[in-house]
Amino acid sequence: MGIKDKLKTGVQRNLNQKYIRRLLDIIAKKPVLFAYGSTFSSLSDKYLNIFTIKSLRNAYTDNNHPVGYGSLFLPYEMFHALGITPFLPEVMAGFTAGLGLATQTLKEASSNWYSQDLCTFHRSASGAVELDVFPKPDFVITTNLACDAAQKSFYIHSVKYNIEKNFYLIDVPYEYSKESILYLTGQIKNICMDISSKSGMKLATSKFKEVISLSNEFRKWAIKVNNLRKTLTNYPPYYNGLNFILPFHGLAGTREAVILYNQMYKELKKYLDKEEKEKSGKNKSLKRILWLHLKPYYKNEIFNILERENCRVVFEEINYIYWPELDPERPFESLAKKMLSHFLAGRIDNRINVILKAARDYKIDGAILFSHWGCRQSNGGARIIKDSLNKLNIPTLVLDGDCVDQNNSSQGQVKTRLQGFVEILNS
Amino acid sequence: MYTCGIDVGSVSTKVVILGKKDNKIASYVIASTGSNGKNAAIKALDDSLKKAGLTDNEIEATVTTGYGRINIPFADQNITEISCHARGAISLFPDLKTVIDIGGQDSKVIKLKDGKPIDFLMNDKCAAGTGRFLEVMARAMEINIEQFAPIFIKTNDKVDITSTCTVFAESEIVSLIGQGIDKNKIIKGLIYSIADKITSMVGRVGLDEPVCMTGGVAKNLGVVKALEENLGIKINIPDEPQITGALGAAYLAQNLH
Repeated sequence: MGIKDKLKTGVQRNLNQKYIRRLLDIIAKKPVLFAYGSTFSSLSDKYLNIFTIKSLRNAYTDNNHPVGYGSLFLPYEMFHALGITPFLPEVMAGFTAGLGLATQTLKEASSNWYSQDLCTFHRSASGAVELDVFPKPDFVITTNLACDAAQKSFYIHSVKYNIEKNFYLIDVPYEYSKESILYLTGQIKNICMDISSKSGMKLATSKFKEVISLSNEFRKWAIKVNNLRKTLTNYPPYYNGLNFILPFHGLAGTREAVILYNQMYKELKKYLDKEEKEKSGKNKSLKRILWLHLKPYYKNEIFNILERENCRVVFEEINYIYWPELDPERPFESLAKKMLSHFLAGRIDNRINVILKAARDYKIDGAILFSHWGCRQSNGGARIIKDSLNKLNIPTLVLDGDCVDQNNSSQGQVKTRLQGFVEILNS
Repeated sequence: MYTCGIDVGSVSTKVVILGKKDNKIASYVIASTGSNGKNAAIKALDDSLKKAGLTDNEIEATVTTGYGRINIPFADQNITEISCHARGAISLFPDLKTVIDIGGQDSKVIKLKDGKPIDFLMNDKCAAGTGRFLEVMARAMEINIEQFAPIFIKTNDKVDITSTCTVFAESEIVSLIGQGIDKNKIIKGLIYSIADKITSMVGRVGLDEPVCMTGGVAKNLGVVKALEENLGIKINIPDEPQITGALGAAYLAQNLH
């Protein structure tokens, strides 16, 4: 049953109707929301929204391609090579918060025994699955890389849709080694073959090569964007590097990701050229902030406060390009290496090295670790990350909060912590 | 000329008027905040001016702090409690390295270097480890909160209060009283529960001496003693710890003109 049919039947509860109406608005390309208001501020802003809409529209309405639920840290190149439409429930949980509907999905999750301790990205997504407002998946794929909640909650999604046989878990070993690469390569290959066989979607070598090449092209532009930001001090008002989770992960291996990052590069380059051209172009008093982990996706004041205080997030660890260039001739092995290269795989040292490198490269004045409730993989390292940055005399704020549930933190307390931190940076 | 610091806290509003040349406190007022922080600040300022025999024309600059700092229309600037408590405490104890502030709504530990805050930690969003916790418990036990300190000092044993949540802790002590447990032991346990919470916060920020304690709860010698015991140190207490934030705000106002 399509979502329009669901609406017509009127069997859904109020939330479903409200949720689906909003999604229909998105799919119909009505003025789009998310973080940017109702109009597009730039071409890259437009691309980001249009590609997001397209991705959602395909997941909801395209009957020619199977839909695969995927968790964040998967190599989505495998989805695109197989012709499977990816749907990322965790990312959708962020959108749900942006739409102001997370309270309802979280309530539904709570009514269905999902623990309050479970990360709200997964809790909200689980609530949406329980409400049946997400598209029905044909496959559910997840990994134990970094996130402990995904491997359990995604399995529950597969049970909910009676497709346990189409549930796949990619087990990423702790250490980066030849054996690990071999083990992981085998898993990715087997999963791709199995999905291909079950879905009838042919896994053509030429298609895989094309996807891998596009992924490399996206990687190249993403590195260029990151390099520009090392010296950039004036940003377009619409730019927030924490809004690119879907393209960075879910669209890797597509032409859309290449177009988006290429356009973002052009726009930021204009700002940088202007800064360098004009003598007073650089914002020299800018306090440069490194952002660790994610941000709240509901309406909040965090970035407005920082902006008012002349602070700017100049880099986010989630945008770090951690993987080497992929080899189109060895796609499975390349994707295995990509997963194993993630700084959240293995020991905390891997993450700290990335953070310290970013601290030096981006000449940061301070770091903010957003400590998202229930995210053990991130919060567990808070102390050692803070200590490591303090050794470089970089003040670090561990900001407790919740990315999805706005009822799980007090705006007033967040404001005081942020202002207090800025006062330390300015003292 | 003078500067003024106003600390609009959740429970009380504090005003300090500070002489600019001599850095002497011309007057201070501690008043209840009630339901309207703005009105409380205006009234407390008027009272403080009267007490000092000054007019508002003689106030060169005003800085507000505390949870109600934003909505005070006559303030020249608002600065967080973190900077204000640090500045106020430093004016009293110049070599300070750590400030522990326990107010009505929140508690914080501030780490200082060369007299400036370099790190801080605030309590999480619940009332555990704050003055409000003690107030609720005193009410539940029908004992004046000022009796807590003498009871703490004269009582040897304590009963552990296991609930962190203020509401659950209230139920727990009602239950303990129902079991016939000595109220004094319960009070000692309550005070340790606050001290333990603050001790863990100090541990996270890192303990550096000298240490000063500010905020209304610093007037409770029981909490101070328990903290001193937990941390194994001597804690400096200002003569009037409750006005430290307002005092710091008045000092920071000196930088404005």
